[in-house]
Amino acid sequence: MSEKLKKVEKEPMFSSKVLKLLKNPFNLENPITVQVLGICSALAVTVQMKPAIVMALSVTIVTAFSNLIISSLRNTIPSRIRIIVQLVVVAALVIIVDQILKAYVYDVSKKLSVFVGLIITNCILMGRLEAYAMGNKPWPSFVDGFGNGLGYGLILVIVAFFRESLGSGKILGAKIIPQFMYDIGYMDNGLMILPPMALITIGIIIWVQRSKTPELQEK
Amino acid sequence: MENLFNLFVRSIFIDNMIFAYFLGMCSFLAVSKTVKTSVGLGIAVTFVLLVTAPVNWLIDTYLLKAGALVWLSPDFADLDLSYLSFMIFIAVIAAIVQLVEMVVEKFSPSLYNALGIFLPLIAVNCAILGVALFVQEREYHTIAEVTVYAGGSGIGWLLAIASLAAIREKISYSNIPKPLRGLGISFIITGLMAIAFMSFMGIKI
Amino acid sequence: MQHSNKYILGYSIIMVVIVAVSLTIIAVQLKPRQDENIRIEKMQNILSSVNIAVAEIPKNEIGTLYKKYIVSAVAVNNKGEDKITDPAQVFKIELVNELKKPGEEQMLPVFIAKLDNGDTAYVLPLRGKGLWGPVWGYISLKGDFNTVYGVMFDHKGETPGLGAEIGQDFFVNPFKGKTIFGKDGKFTSIQIIKGGAADDNPHGVDAISGGTITSKGVEKMIFDNLGSYQAYLQSHKNH
Repeated sequence: MSEKLKKVEKEPMFSSKVLKLLKNPFNLENPITVQVLGICSALAVTVQMKPAIVMALSVTIVTAFSNLIISSLRNTIPSRIRIIVQLVVVAALVIIVDQILKAYVYDVSKKLSVFVGLIITNCILMGRLEAYAMGNKPWPSFVDGFGNGLGYGLILVIVAFFRESLGSGKILGAKIIPQFMYDIGYMDNGLMILPPMALITIGIIIWVQRSKTPELQEK
Repeated sequence: MENLFNLFVRSIFIDNMIFAYFLGMCSFLAVSKTVKTSVGLGIAVTFVLLVTAPVNWLIDTYLLKAGALVWLSPDFADLDLSYLSFMIFIAVIAAIVQLVEMVVEKFSPSLYNALGIFLPLIAVNCAILGVALFVQEREYHTIAEVTVYAGGSGIGWLLAIASLAAIREKISYSNIPKPLRGLGISFIITGLMAIAFMSFMGIKI
Repeated sequence: MQHSNKYILGYSIIMVVIVAVSLTIIAVQLKPRQDENIRIEKMQNILSSVNIAVAEIPKNEIGTLYKKYIVSAVAVNNKGEDKITDPAQVFKIELVNELKKPGEEQMLPVFIAKLDNGDTAYVLPLRGKGLWGPVWGYISLKGDFNTVYGVMFDHKGETPGLGAEIGQDFFVNPFKGKTIFGKDGKFTSIQIIKGGAADDNPHGVDAISGGTITSKGVEKMIFDNLGSYQAYLQSHKNH
C-alpha cells in the first residue's frame, strides 16, 4: 500500500479549488480505476444494485467523516500512534454505520453481511487520510472524502448495474426484460451473478475509461 | 477429521479469499508483479492469519458474543458486546502484526529479512479482517475449525497471488491494447482465473 | 511533531473513553429497533411456512397478522411432553441454543396456526448446516402430523444461483403435500433427490442442480430436527 500512497502524493492534481476535489474522483482520480484503492471490500456486494448503492453511501459517509475528524485533530495527533488513531476513528464510524443499517434497513444489512465491517480495511480510507486529511483543513478534507467515496460508489453502482441487468434481468429488483424476450429464447446470463464477472466488468470499465483519457494509460 | 480436511480444501480452492470474495485485492494488485515477492507476502499473510483468526475467535466467543460473559457471572447472560467486534478485531490484528514482527526480528533474522517488509502492510489487508469476520458470521464451533479455515484461506491467497504474478511476468512480453495495459488486463486475468477456480465448486471429499 | 510519552498515553486514554462511550450510547439506543427487526423477521418466517405471502405485507402489519394466525405455541422435550406453554416464552426460544443442550433438556418449540379454512397447522423450526454456513427454516405439518403443509428455508452465504436457491418457490413448493411417515408408520422424513424425484414418491422432492451439498444439508436438517420431535409427532398422530 505504501507504494500506492506515494503515487497518490505525487499526483499534482490537488488544486485548492474545492469543486475540483469533488469532481476529480469521478474520472481522473477515480479511487478504483486510477488510484487502485479499496477494491477489496466492496466488489462482492455488486450482484444487485440495492446493496451496492447502500454500500456506496456507507463508504462515502465513512470516508467523508473520517477525513473531517482526522483533519480537525491533525495537529494534536501524536505521530507515533497516528495509524492507530486513524484506525480507531474509522472503526468507530464503521460500527455506527453498521448499527444504523441493522436498525433501519435490516434486509440490506443482511445482504452486506461482513462487507460493512470490511470498510475498515478499505485502502481508500487510510489512503485518503494519510494523503489528504493529515495535511489539509477540515472542510476541503471533508469534500475530498465525500468526492472519493462517491467516485468509488460510482464504479460499484456501474458494475452492479451490468451484473444485475444482464445476470437476472432486473434493475433494483424490477424486471426490465419483457416476458416475450424470454419466450423467444432469451436467457439471463447466470455467469454475471458469479464473482469473476465483477473483476472482468471492472477491467472493461478501465479499458473504456483509458481509451477516452489517454493520459491515464500505462506504458 | 473428515470435516476439517473438507473445510481446508474448500477454503483453499472454492472459498478462495481473492477469487470468491476479492479480499486482499489491494496488496494483490500492487505486489504481484514478481513471483518471489508475492510468495513472501503470501507466506506472511498465512502466518498472520494462523495467529489472528484463533485469537479473534476466542475473544469473540468468550468476551463479545451475546451471553459470552456467562463464565464470569450468570448476571451477564443478556450482555451483548458484539457491536464492539470490528474495533476489537482490527486492534488485535494490528497488535499481533506488531508482535509477530518483533518476535520474528528477534528470533529469526533470516525469516525477518524475507517477510519483514511485508508485515506492516498486512495489518490493513482485507483478507485478515475478512477471515475474522467470516469466522464470526459462519459460527464455527471449535478452535480447530477456525485454525484450519484460517490456514486454508492463507494458502489459497498465496496460491492466487503467486499464480497471478507468474502470469503478469509473462504478459509483459505480450502486445496488449494500450488502454488495457497494467491494471485493466490484471483485472481481466484475475477474473479469468477465478472462472477457472470455479471448476472446483461442489467438490466434496 | 514529537510528543512526550505522557501526552501519547493521555491522548490514547481520552480517545478510547470517548469512542467507547459514544459507541455504547449508539448501540444501546439502536438495540430495540434491531431486536424488533429480528422479531419481525422471525414472525415473517413462521408465517411464510404456513404459505402466507409475507413479502407483500408491510412490516408494521406483520405483528397483527402473526397474532391472527398463530393461536398458540408450546415447547416440548424430546419425549414429546409439553414443557412450556406460554406462547411469548416459546417465541423467545432460539433453536440454535437448544440444539447444543443434551436431548432430554432441549425445549423444542411448536407453533400452532389456525388457517383461514379452519384447519390447524403445526409449525416446527429447523436448523442445520449447508455448504458454507448455517441453514435454517420452518416446516408446517397438517393436523395429521404427517403431511407437509408448507416450508420456508433461509441461509447465510450459500452460493448465489446454486445453493442459495433453497429459498425459492421452485424448490419450496414441491414439499407441500409430501408425507414424513411411511404407510407402515415408520419415520421417513423428506428425501431431496439429485436428478429429480419420481412424481409418485410421497417422501421425495427434487434437489437443486449444482447445489447438491446445500440440498443434502437441508435434507439432513429436516431429518435431524424432525427426529427430535418424533416422540411428540408420534403421540399426537395416534390420537
